[in-house]
Amino acid sequence: MDISKFIDYTLLKATTSERDVINLCNEAKLNGFYAVCINTAYVALAKQLLENTGIKIASVIGFPLGATSTAAKVYEAKKALEDGADEIEMVMNLGFLKSRNFVLVLKDIIDVKLGIKDTPLKVILEISELSKNEIIKACSICLDAKVDVIKTSSGFSKSGATLTATKIIKKTIKDQAQIMVSGGIEDFETALKYLEAGADRIGTSKNINPVSNSIQNRNAKVYKKYLEANQIQNSLEIQYYNR
Amino acid sequence: MAPLSSYIDHTLLKATATKNDIIQLCKEAKEHQFHAVCINSCYAALAKEQLKNSGVKVCCVIGFPLGAMSTEAKIFETKQALFDGADEIDMVLNIGLLKSKDFAAVWKDIEAVKKCIPNNILKVILETCYLDEPEIIKASELAIQSGADFIKTSTGFGTRGATIHDVKLMKHVADGKAKIKASGGIKDYGTAMQYINLGVERLGTSSGIAIITGQPSTESY
Repeated sequence: MDISKFIDYTLLKATTSERDVINLCNEAKLNGFYAVCINTAYVALAKQLLENTGIKIASVIGFPLGATSTAAKVYEAKKALEDGADEIEMVMNLGFLKSRNFVLVLKDIIDVKLGIKDTPLKVILEISELSKNEIIKACSICLDAKVDVIKTSSGFSKSGATLTATKIIKKTIKDQAQIMVSGGIEDFETALKYLEAGADRIGTSKNINPVSNSIQNRNAKVYKKYLEANQIQNSLEIQYYNR
Repeated sequence: MAPLSSYIDHTLLKATATKNDIIQLCKEAKEHQFHAVCINSCYAALAKEQLKNSGVKVCCVIGFPLGAMSTEAKIFETKQALFDGADEIDMVLNIGLLKSKDFAAVWKDIEAVKKCIPNNILKVILETCYLDEPEIIKASELAIQSGADFIKTSTGFGTRGATIHDVKLMKHVADGKAKIKASGGIKDYGTAMQYINLGVERLGTSSGIAIITGQPSTESY
């Protein structure tokens, strides 16, 4: 099956050149990925490259430490929108969370949310730094702030997404927000496992999308999600899964 | 030589640094009379309050640690940090634009930040671990040309920290027009003195106390 519509094709390294961003956007077009995920300095460039393609631009904010001041995060997000971003991915303030100052964690997110209005907001938890209880707390703060997507990892910490954490997040938030997994998802099989565990989006810098018939019907739930993501609404398959 | 402690920016930049960690950092900086504390911008106001009337400066990092945020965002973050009480700014150069050989953009990025803090110290972090020799030379030139007061080797989040070789190269390019801050992996008295003897005027380290007391340190930055 084709999982391209679940993928945010990602390039966030400090050394990313303009040429790298051009290649990223070209590959995203070729594969029909859902979005590209980049740093704010390259949003305007990506916008030019992806004009009229339907591929979205996700831009990271306060990245990767989440420790910039709230006002700076708000401004960076607004500026990214002005440059052409379609989605904002901010890193939660982990220091505030670890200080157990949950009000400040919430305010940090809400201020960005207010700043970008209806633009989808993803919040990166950086699960590698959090205990199980902190993950649950972070999720409920995200729900209070009405974020659209909860994302596991920045890819710059000691480790990335885990299936265990994905399941904890899913159990905590149910269907009140989407889950994006990222960090270390480097092949198709792994991606499928996460989709089965409840992930809705996948952030990866690897082009993982072999359209393989053998795995086509591996999991009905995931396949249905795929059909919906590709807006194949009246297909026989959807009718089959909806009956 | 000035006291060793006056060379040191006492540094805590981990994502998970708590309020109490920052308070502790400031307390240590006061006690040992370090030059500054170096922290993320979300804690500028807290540090300022902790360090009131102590003579220890607040140094904030900007666009940290990737340097890949838009210039406008760096400017705003700088202004906000200053408003919150920062005395010095350590910004990361846009490494990607340097790699793209878009030198005008690299230069404008730095100049724009310097313009909003004409009376404050601006240090530009080159992140030398990702650069080859010609790039270190070019980056140093661009930073100095753009008004940087210091050029700084590393964020502590790259693949390695300062090296003697990088510092010598930067010192050679700077040639008195800018000062040098070495950072990343400076954990003991011997290493610190090695850099100071090369002409480095500031050290960024989480091991400041170990350095001035001659004890071994367990910190990684």
